[in-house]
Amino acid sequence: MILFENISKIYKPDTVALKNVSFQINPNEFVSIVGKSGAGKTTLIKLLLREEPPTTGRIVYAGKNIAEIKNKDLPLFRQKIGCVFQDYRLLPHKTVFENVAYAMELMGATDDEILSDVPRLLEIVGLEDRAKHFPLGLSGGEKQRTAIARALAVRPEVIIADEPTGNLDPYHTRDIIKLLEKIYELGTTVILSTHDKVIINSLGRRVITLDNGEIIRDEEKGRFIL
Amino acid sequence: MFTFLRRVIRFGWHNFWRAGGLNIATVFVLIVTLTLITCLFISEGAVNHIMDQIKEKIDISVYMTPDTSDEEIELIKNKLVAMPEVQEVKIVSKEDAMNQFREKHQNDPVLLESLDIVGTNPFYASLDIKAKNPEQYAAILEVINSDSLKDVVYKVDYVEKKTVIEKLSGFITNVNTGGLALALALGVVAVLVAFNTIRVAIYDASKEISIMRLVGASNSFIRGPFIVQGIISGAIAALASFIILLLMTYFLAPKIESLTSGFNVFSWFISRAFGLFFLQLVSGIALGVISSLIAIRKYLTA
Repeated sequence: MILFENISKIYKPDTVALKNVSFQINPNEFVSIVGKSGAGKTTLIKLLLREEPPTTGRIVYAGKNIAEIKNKDLPLFRQKIGCVFQDYRLLPHKTVFENVAYAMELMGATDDEILSDVPRLLEIVGLEDRAKHFPLGLSGGEKQRTAIARALAVRPEVIIADEPTGNLDPYHTRDIIKLLEKIYELGTTVILSTHDKVIINSLGRRVITLDNGEIIRDEEKGRFIL
Repeated sequence: MFTFLRRVIRFGWHNFWRAGGLNIATVFVLIVTLTLITCLFISEGAVNHIMDQIKEKIDISVYMTPDTSDEEIELIKNKLVAMPEVQEVKIVSKEDAMNQFREKHQNDPVLLESLDIVGTNPFYASLDIKAKNPEQYAAILEVINSDSLKDVVYKVDYVEKKTVIEKLSGFITNVNTGGLALALALGVVAVLVAFNTIRVAIYDASKEISIMRLVGASNSFIRGPFIVQGIISGAIAALASFIILLLMTYFLAPKIESLTSGFNVFSWFISRAFGLFFLQLVSGIALGVISSLIAIRKYLTA
């Protein structure tokens, strides 16, 4: 489904973020990418979303080199991948309902679909009573659950979660990870980037470990060892 | 397509009211810009009125020799009236000239008494000639000074008026050119200020734009609401500017009328109200939309 082939990323003048990275992620897989800060986790995600181009190598998504996707088709490509970030990246002037609905609106969903799907998604993430609140009035955990609901709204093939629990307390962290597992069990591929040892060790799923831009370990049912 | 347009308009409308302060700043700058540009039109109207008033007061007086008969004067008048440069020719007979003199100096008994002492009418019959444009007096003068009229023309007072006429012609040309240059310069400054204000407003939304792109919004879906915001800002600014100018011209009309020898700015404004409002609306919307399009462009590169 996703193939990273000899990917390197060098930022000018000579900062090496990724060094000859190769791996494959299969459909309906839960993969964690771990590493210290600066190991290259976020760069890897940026390259997959085609926010930036790799310096060398190619990334293949569903059989297609993403570098060949035309700019006008990029929004459609990004709609296939749901994203959840440490800083939530919610639209501050929209309510919880509107943030989730926005993702559906840009896909061209009808008003009826939005009115039936958004409450259902908010129910899945446990925010049905917060629909009319703005992000500023939500706790960190609620913001992250809104972001997850928004990511799910486009019915993505893959969910990428970049340090989704970085700003959360242990209680909310457990909550969010449970939610991601639930999404995975419903048939969506999940890529989780984190440096939280407790989370990784409790998951017992595939772990790719990055260090200084290189893959030093790729194990099924891996553990956080650095 | 309809759903897309409806959503873009809704987002634009909501964003406009939610963004608050920056939109107020944008609308305010647009109001100032539109008011300034419209004021330039109004001042051009006032200048034209003053010029017309001055032009009205310029003429050439051609004094005829005492032997010239009324028929000859009439013939010369007809000849001048036939010229394309001439707007009007008026015959002032000897009697008219004396009556005008008496009327003008009715409070000066010494002068009137001296006229009585002379016993005869010392005034000359004359032709008061008005050209269509001050620049055309030279052509009229050429005919008056021609050999055919040499014997009947006693004196032409153009020489005395010549300097004033030339200065006025130059002044009119300079005022028109200077006014146009000033209007253009102020217009450019106003447009740049408006553009920068909108750019700051869009810069403020840059983080939001990056989120929209990440979620998979197409460029037109992101750009659309900002265009709608530009349209709303422009339309509100045009309406506000129109109302401000309406009130301004109403309250300042008496003062301006006395300063400009009869230019009623309120009547001028009302008689062109529809055209001016349309111009303000189109300019305001164009300014808002074009500035938004240019400012947002750099955030939409893939």
